[in-house]
Amino acid sequence: MPSKRLARVNPCSMCMPMGCVLVFRGVESCMTLFHGSQGCSTYMRLYLAHHFREPVDIASSALSEKGAVYGGAANLKQGLRNVILGYRPKAIGIATTCLAETIGDDVPQIISEFQEEEPLARDVTFIPVSTPSYAASHEVGYRVALKSLVQTMVRKSKPSGRINILVGSIVSPEDVRYLKKLLDCWGFDYILLPDISETFDAPLNEHLPRIPAGGTPLDDIRDLASSKATVTIGGLVQEPGAGYFLEKEFEIPHRPLPLPIGLDLCDRLAASLEELTGDPMPEYYERERGRLLDTMVDAHKVVAEARTAVFGDTEMVLGIARLMTELGMRPQIIATGAINRAFAEAALQMVPSSRIITGADFSEIAEEIMARDIELMVGPFTGRQTARKTKIPLLRVGLPNHDRFGASHQLLLGYEGSMRLVECMANSLIESKERGYA
Amino acid sequence: MSTIKIFEGREGHIQQKGDDCLPISCNNDSLAGVVSQRACVYSGARVVLNPLTDALHLVHGPIGCAAYTWDIRGAASSGSDLYRNSFSTDMKELDVVFGGERKLAAALRELADRFHPQAIFVYSTCIVGIIGDDIETICKRAAMELGIPVVPVKSEGFRGNKNEGYKAACNSLLGLIGTCDYTPKSRYSVNLLGEYNVAGDVWHVMPLLEEMGIDVVATLTGDARVADIQRAHTAKLNLVQCSGSMTYLAKKMEERYGIPYRRISFFGLREMASALRTTADFFESRQLKEKAEQIILRETARVMPQIECHRSRVSGKKAAIYMGGAAKAISLVRAFQELGMDVVIIGTQTGDRDDYQRIGYIVKDGTLIIDDANPLELKELLLKQSADLLVAGVKERFLAYKLGIAFCDFNHDRTINFEGFQGMANFAREIDITINSPVWRLSVKRQSPINSRSDLTVDMGVGDAIKETCQG
Repeated sequence: MPSKRLARVNPCSMCMPMGCVLVFRGVESCMTLFHGSQGCSTYMRLYLAHHFREPVDIASSALSEKGAVYGGAANLKQGLRNVILGYRPKAIGIATTCLAETIGDDVPQIISEFQEEEPLARDVTFIPVSTPSYAASHEVGYRVALKSLVQTMVRKSKPSGRINILVGSIVSPEDVRYLKKLLDCWGFDYILLPDISETFDAPLNEHLPRIPAGGTPLDDIRDLASSKATVTIGGLVQEPGAGYFLEKEFEIPHRPLPLPIGLDLCDRLAASLEELTGDPMPEYYERERGRLLDTMVDAHKVVAEARTAVFGDTEMVLGIARLMTELGMRPQIIATGAINRAFAEAALQMVPSSRIITGADFSEIAEEIMARDIELMVGPFTGRQTARKTKIPLLRVGLPNHDRFGASHQLLLGYEGSMRLVECMANSLIESKERGYA
Repeated sequence: MSTIKIFEGREGHIQQKGDDCLPISCNNDSLAGVVSQRACVYSGARVVLNPLTDALHLVHGPIGCAAYTWDIRGAASSGSDLYRNSFSTDMKELDVVFGGERKLAAALRELADRFHPQAIFVYSTCIVGIIGDDIETICKRAAMELGIPVVPVKSEGFRGNKNEGYKAACNSLLGLIGTCDYTPKSRYSVNLLGEYNVAGDVWHVMPLLEEMGIDVVATLTGDARVADIQRAHTAKLNLVQCSGSMTYLAKKMEERYGIPYRRISFFGLREMASALRTTADFFESRQLKEKAEQIILRETARVMPQIECHRSRVSGKKAAIYMGGAAKAISLVRAFQELGMDVVIIGTQTGDRDDYQRIGYIVKDGTLIIDDANPLELKELLLKQSADLLVAGVKERFLAYKLGIAFCDFNHDRTINFEGFQGMANFAREIDITINSPVWRLSVKRQSPINSRSDLTVDMGVGDAIKETCQG
């Protein structure tokens, strides 16, 4: 099902190292360094600053021609040294770029040399991850970074009885805050990883730290192997990652779940947590569920049979499509930039009549939109040119969102997030009717 | 500079005017690990060429390089919007192993067929340089086959800093210039070099030049068509604005076509006036000179009341400047003089020895000058110099805000026109609304009726405002 065309026109995905930043930023006192040319860090800093409206510092080994020819070890070591001196991190995530991978630098080897040579390195945890940009999309980068992080850091100690909550795909800081509130209210001990709730959405206060406060504590990450179970939220169609590793190596049962978007998928998360904890979902959330249901009933006629196109990251798209079908909407196009067979199968099962595209770009999505009389687009802001051309409203969700406020505060998950999404979709359709678009 | 913490190896990149010191270190590779604000060779090439509206810009490399540069520059178009698309060969593992030449050749055919561009620029990225795809030969063959210019841009990311990218872009433009004939409509004809029509800037400048009787043959590259570039050799004078990116091209055009060049800037009232005068002087025409003076008088009178109003609200404030190129930074110093503001920090990503000499000449004693800055140094300098305002790009915006410092975007993605006479009035307003926003006077700490802390002053007005607290 991936496109047969050779050239990509207006990409619906980003490159692997991008995903790593979203993971490493969710770790306590952790800096990211890209082993590659200076541009990669700068572009991704710019891209993420636009989205989160926060300062984003990503270091680079700043490989030059000499490094590309003779190997980048010296640059990487100097880079690590400067990051330690400048930022005093407790951990550094080191992601390779296509340049470093193509010249064949052995990053784990360079790191162990650095640890031997450099006294400054003694108290720092190094997390290498191989992310050649040409291998896969940012979603895979996210998954492999999460896996490398866990693989590098965990150690077995006595059972803690906690539950690991792995955030398996890219969500907003608000989403993470919502999940933490839910889990706190439930009242069991958990480790949530990665936690970008504060680090990508810092309150304005007196002091600007070198590395944003917050993130999953390093000791908790080390302890993941002592938990009694792992739930990966947003791990439905991803290849085996951190949760699978913990299951295989430490026999911790793992449940990969979809992102909780829509009534059914939220219920699925609730059921899993009830099974694992033995405690019922708190009453507060039962009432929230009721409000979602109430909202869906209220809105059902406005959104009924609405022909939609939903695109973006795999797990988010599947959740939104599921909510749409619960409402009686008709997703006509379900697209992702990633190449992911499990996504295609899940989408097909959910909406057999829709056009499902993996490895999509926006020229392809636009062609399908124009051929299918679409009324509403739901996805990242990168769909804006298509929206403008076709005069179809675009409801911006997910990463990237560079041209509207609120990306960090967008809640998509849970009963509440689903409720907000129902309302936004209904309002978009009403507004476009008022404007005479539809 | 001993009072702030600087990374080892960067000592020479920061100095204070008035210091008895050596020339500033600049134009070399960024130091690893310090989080330089610079991008790469490809980025330099792309920003220079991207505003060419009816060209197809194909990035030969993995998807990221194209994704992050899709429609990044706020360069406006009066015609085609082809340049606002992102094209990539989306190289995969197999292409890296077996070479990407065949894919590139096929992609060129496919894209020419689908989009009918006037020309195609093919940018090489890091891995292309490593695996050694011969893009020059492929471009040459494709040009013959497709009947349009297919221009290679040698922009492998690691081959230097942004300046190398500017040079690569200029070399690509040189390949196009002189390939079409044209007779300028006036004896007085110019090209505008290093003018990128960000936020429609050039539309506030061009009418004034035309009013003087000047034919603008080509703008390089803001709102330019491929055909404009091809006939650029027929102009009598090159006006160079962004000197960092285009001086190289101006010199080459002088060598090759005997076209002299003048450095000008369209930003700031004095600079704008001086640009018109420089042009009139060059052509040694009394009529042009008179016309220029008329325009300057009329336009200055028109915008002065607006500017005066803002000036009274911002004068005496302290500005920090961190720009990609030196030309913009220098124009900003003059503009701040016009607003009665003091520049306390000035820096660039890619300035060279000459640029810093010019900067050193125009700034006051005590001004800090910084080359290839990074967030940690910028933060320290902003606080040390008590800047009220930072003028820079998006990456620096949120650093300023977190420190309670006002901010003005002077980079690619600004959306407000700053050039020409009206542009200066717009700029003055921008500076005014950010510096004098009431948000900076909001208090960071909430006064609690039940929890009175000793460090909390009773008067909430000033002591706890964002501005003071975050910088304290």
